[in-house]
Amino acid sequence: MANAFTDKGNSPQTIKAEINSGDVSRDKYLHTYVIVEHEDGKPLPVSLEMLGEARRLVDNFNDKYSSKEKVVALVLGSGVRNLCEELPFYGADAVIYAESQELKNSINLIDTKVIADIAKDKGPIREISPDDSNDFIRPRYMFFAADNIGRQLSSTVMAELESGLASDINKLIIEDLEIKHEHKTKGKPIVYEKTLEMYRPDFSGFLWTTILCLDNKNPAIQRDYHPQACSIIPGVFSPLSRDTSRKGIIINYVPKISEEDVAKVKVLDRTAITSSIDFDKHKCVVSFGRGIKDSPEDNTRLVLKLAEVLDAEVGVTLPISKRPFNVGESIGSKYFVPDRVIGTSGRKVNPLLYIAIGISGAVQHLAGMKESEFVISINTDEYSQIRDESDIFVKGSLEEILPVLIEEIREQRAKMIMRVKE
Amino acid sequence: MASLRVAVIVKMEPDFSEGNVSYNSDGTLNRAETKNILGPHSAIACRAAFYTKVIYGAEIYVATMGPPIADSALQQAQLISNADNLYLFSDRIFAGADTLATAEVLKTGINMIQEQGKKVDIVFSGHRASDGETGQTGPQTAWKLGYTFLGNVISYYVDIENRKIRAKRLISLQGFYDIIEEVEALLPVFITVDPLYKANYDTITQRLAFMKHRKEASKKAQDYKQYLNVLNAQQLGVDPKLVGLPGSPTIVYKVEKIPKAKPTRRATMVDGSDRGQIVELATKINQVLSGAVVE
Repeated sequence: MANAFTDKGNSPQTIKAEINSGDVSRDKYLHTYVIVEHEDGKPLPVSLEMLGEARRLVDNFNDKYSSKEKVVALVLGSGVRNLCEELPFYGADAVIYAESQELKNSINLIDTKVIADIAKDKGPIREISPDDSNDFIRPRYMFFAADNIGRQLSSTVMAELESGLASDINKLIIEDLEIKHEHKTKGKPIVYEKTLEMYRPDFSGFLWTTILCLDNKNPAIQRDYHPQACSIIPGVFSPLSRDTSRKGIIINYVPKISEEDVAKVKVLDRTAITSSIDFDKHKCVVSFGRGIKDSPEDNTRLVLKLAEVLDAEVGVTLPISKRPFNVGESIGSKYFVPDRVIGTSGRKVNPLLYIAIGISGAVQHLAGMKESEFVISINTDEYSQIRDESDIFVKGSLEEILPVLIEEIREQRAKMIMRVKE
Repeated sequence: MASLRVAVIVKMEPDFSEGNVSYNSDGTLNRAETKNILGPHSAIACRAAFYTKVIYGAEIYVATMGPPIADSALQQAQLISNADNLYLFSDRIFAGADTLATAEVLKTGINMIQEQGKKVDIVFSGHRASDGETGQTGPQTAWKLGYTFLGNVISYYVDIENRKIRAKRLISLQGFYDIIEEVEALLPVFITVDPLYKANYDTITQRLAFMKHRKEASKKAQDYKQYLNVLNAQQLGVDPKLVGLPGSPTIVYKVEKIPKAKPTRRATMVDGSDRGQIVELATKINQVLSGAVVE
């Protein structure tokens, strides 16, 4: 598909698309807008990660298309000016911020309208790229964080802007693609330039689905869909290291917030809670996956026993958090929970010792544990992917191995203590 | 004489529970072999709606978009929520819709219910589906309806007299701390229900009402077709350009296996059936955890 230009086809649409793209200044869709979330006056890590990835993408984009597109950070809040000063150091060319007491807490209704207003406004473009300000209609790309706030905000903002959105993305590529689609192109091949390929891992962790947001070029349903937007999984992309020599302009945007909307929702209280599950406090993490399935309750108890002996915190894979097995409520509600998921849709851990029991090793899970110092996995399938991330791979069934292992660890420790006492 | 009207949006999904779910040899879901059920998050939304039935005597409508067989999901939803009416929005032209085009159908459907003189005060939905997992359809439907959106609600109560709702919601900022936020909002609202949601029926009166409605629900669900309304695109009056594939801004361009990551470690193999090797493994574990040098 990267060589789409070698096969130009004869359709008039193909030719038209190329003529348009030759004249860069006439682009209606410009720049990459990154919605920055913050707590306690600091940007969330995922926001800096998104700025880093946007910077890399836009730099490549500008090289490839000889253009001067920008990375634009959007910040909503109260007392956020200082935070905005930091963002250019992490890759933003411009920061648009909206200040208001009503924006102090993230309220979906109000934030959605302010962000959509900014996205449609030519005003800030007069400062960001003055030559484009007359043609500008919408941002080209828009990035949100795939946390609770960002996922919901991205949905409502894109419903308001009436464009497409892909959620939980962990890889992005910008490419010219030749598309032949029953509805989008009426079955004819058309080149879509500067298309954002949004890669989304599916729930199993084994499949990648690439989502595209494409204009309808079929005359019967002709319609533009911009910006191309996505929410990005926290912890996937690396932020740029803070560099105070990077410069960016900072633009104050005066938001229009109606009294009627303010009256609709009021935040009465906001309490930060830290999870009682703290992987960092333990030298060892013992995790289990669908490999417990032959006898879910008993096998989970075996895993818990091992964890107890090792003073380890207990982790699970994503499928386990969906409670696919019939286990007692006391175990189910405590261990088969999203809070214990290790991987891209959960936590990242780096204990001294990581023990993976009955885990096949989907890429998502590996991303959450591969920083561990030493990894032991126990699995019946010696070709499972977890082996490539293990220092020791134990082939066999956990039902047989764990009782022996637990007993041995205990005995050896008892002997060690005896020796110390002597 | 219900003073509160509630709609629940549900989804039929593959049954991920063991014994029902079937995976292909490459670890992906075998959709043909896997049964479909009312999605677990939809079931939670139904439980949250049932609370309004028990406590406020609300009138409940359950709606879904899907193929004709999705009526079984509505039946399961009725069993949980004691719904008064069931709506299935079903048309071949809805197929292949992305979240925006799905939200268009759901919005139109709910507005149609409202036009029948049943102003809906609260819409509930699950916070995400187990198969698609985008979590976008709920908030997008809310936005199109013009309802105030409250995401990840874990508990709520309604002040019917003042047309207000007070709700606690969980804001999970992955990799950061979580926040419990308490909000007060004017009706109507659209709520996505968090998996942590729990209904409390504290008083004897409430528990009696709970039992009564449970009984009523199982009676109704046995005879669910009597409560079922099936509506196609024309009957709903949706704009065909805004639904299904033509109304979807996004397309699935390709599906591929996620390539194996480069091996970063070379595993020493241990034979789990060899007791001697497990003894050595135990020693190794004790060494690693005691901070001994790892070779």
